Amino acid sequence: MADVTFLDARRLSAETDATALTDVALAMSEDEFRAFYDRTSGPLWGYLSRISGDRQVADDLLQESYYRLLKSNAAFESENHRRNYLYRIATNLVRDSRRTPRPLFDDGVEMAELATPESHETAESRADVRRALGRLKPRERAMLWLAYANGSSHAEIADVLGLKTGSIKLLLFRARRKMASALRGTR
Amino acid sequence: MNREPELTDAEIERIVAEAIAAESSAARLEAQPPSSAIVWWRAQMRARQEATRAIERPLTIVHGLAIACLGGLLVSVAGIAMRGMKGSFAWLATASDTLRAAAGPLATIDLSSRWILLPMTAMVVSLVVASVAAIVIFADE
Repeated sequence: MADVTFLDARRLSAETDATALTDVALAMSEDEFRAFYDRTSGPLWGYLSRISGDRQVADDLLQESYYRLLKSNAAFESENHRRNYLYRIATNLVRDSRRTPRPLFDDGVEMAELATPESHETAESRADVRRALGRLKPRERAMLWLAYANGSSHAEIADVLGLKTGSIKLLLFRARRKMASALRGTR
Repeated sequence: MNREPELTDAEIERIVAEAIAAESSAARLEAQPPSSAIVWWRAQMRARQEATRAIERPLTIVHGLAIACLGGLLVSVAGIAMRGMKGSFAWLATASDTLRAAAGPLATIDLSSRWILLPMTAMVVSLVVASVAAIVIFADE
């Protein structure tokens, strides 16, 4: 979010006004959208990058996800409902994405690109986690991420992934065992 | 053989939860999504473009149909004209006689008669008004 200054935003806003030909109906007001985006874009980017295994795909699909949310006519009961809907859109976009993922989770993990300085031990540990995630199916990665990074309930996971709520407990159990096994295998 | 001990479900859950939580924290630090202002602006622009395209699409179809109709009309007219061309030279051969015959009664017309003068004036006024209207319409466009 640091690449655009306030002045850039004001300039873009002025250009928008100048080129405005017709009013376009979007699902949210600008203020509402911007507040929602600021709360959710970081976590959503994390989800997209870890599920797709490709940062570039995450960048592209992030904007597409929000655009589809804005264009949708769905009525949302709560913030959580809207967030789950956004994650469902993002999950479907990742599924439909035909691009070959870059090796984010392979042995040549992009450690050099990390913005935060970290110890060798932490870096190794994170590489292990990424390799372990890379051995899971995309749906298993999504499920674990939603459960342990987002703290989503079984019902919410089912809603996002288009599965039955009753099946989530067993699928999560299997995904956890697979992940643990992969983590032990990498160490 | 040095086998690792089996982990309980609770231990597995703790290990996985810690690993994912750590990766999630790292992902949040890596995340550099564009600002909300940029995303909003792009969404607005894209929605406008899509709305414009949706409006223009039926017009394009109508334009296409109109051009097709005009093309068909021109072909029909050309066909009729080609058929008429066959007898055109014979008509030209007798044209001078025809003109002379037509001019005979015209010479006897009294142009000061109101039955002639009124329709002639109306015709001239109509031509002037139509020309001015055409100029105004095309100037607006």
